[in-house]
Amino acid sequence: MSEAVDPLRSSAPDAYFVLDDDDRVLYVSLEFHDTRGRGVGHVLWDHLPRAREVYEPHFIEARATGKPVEALIFYAGRLKRLLVIAGGDGLAVHVENLAELDVTNLGTLRLSLERIERALAGRGSAQLDSRARASLQVLP
Amino acid sequence: MAVTVKQGTPFVVLDERDRIVGVGPGAESQFGPLVGSVIWESFPGSESLFKPYYDKARRIHEAVEFVQFYDGNVARVRATPNEDGLLELYWEPLARLDTLTLGSLVETLEESLELLDEHEADRHRESVRRALRVIEGGA
Repeated sequence: MSEAVDPLRSSAPDAYFVLDDDDRVLYVSLEFHDTRGRGVGHVLWDHLPRAREVYEPHFIEARATGKPVEALIFYAGRLKRLLVIAGGDGLAVHVENLAELDVTNLGTLRLSLERIERALAGRGSAQLDSRARASLQVLP
Repeated sequence: MAVTVKQGTPFVVLDERDRIVGVGPGAESQFGPLVGSVIWESFPGSESLFKPYYDKARRIHEAVEFVQFYDGNVARVRATPNEDGLLELYWEPLARLDTLTLGSLVETLEESLELLDEHEADRHRESVRRALRVIEGGA
């Protein structure tokens, strides 16, 4: 393990799951038992609609480089910090929820967007997924 | 404002204290169990968005129609006071936010904002767009 990798690994979120080479779920940590426990043995994408376009580029990069990949992604109404670590036991995907949209009304939506903004500002070293950023540019 | 919600069986009927006293067949699964309760108690944060229109309809004794955003949905609502002193609500869903990905959020949010009535939505529309632009710039 290189010195550069240690800080990333030590900051890995407790919630994680492990995938095999076909993206089949091998294991979920205790924090994911309620939401993804039933997915063990199944291919991840079968239970998460349109997640592949968001998550998979980071999985591919981690497998290709053998280095941990950290990214900010937006999926299912939440801004998440993703840390993907390829290892001999599979691909460990650590997930931390940073901020969540509140769509109760336009006011709460605006406030939750501002929370996402603050979360992004506090994570200056990480970048929001480039595909997601590009999609924002459709706004006037 | 032009009335565009289709007439028929009301979605929900409220008494003068906003208690649910009737539910149409299209709303039975969601509102049926709520009959007898005050509608605002079951939908947090909705009172300030809907009640002013309902009160206006009662006050002027005429139908009031508006488009509102609540819980990720945009709907056109028609509130019609009837001869029994009850308020009949007709509901037409127009759009729903898709928050699965940022791409789908931006697309459906823009669609939703465009549907909202100008006089009610201008301030929120601009602030939401501004927040999204800031997120883009901060990433």
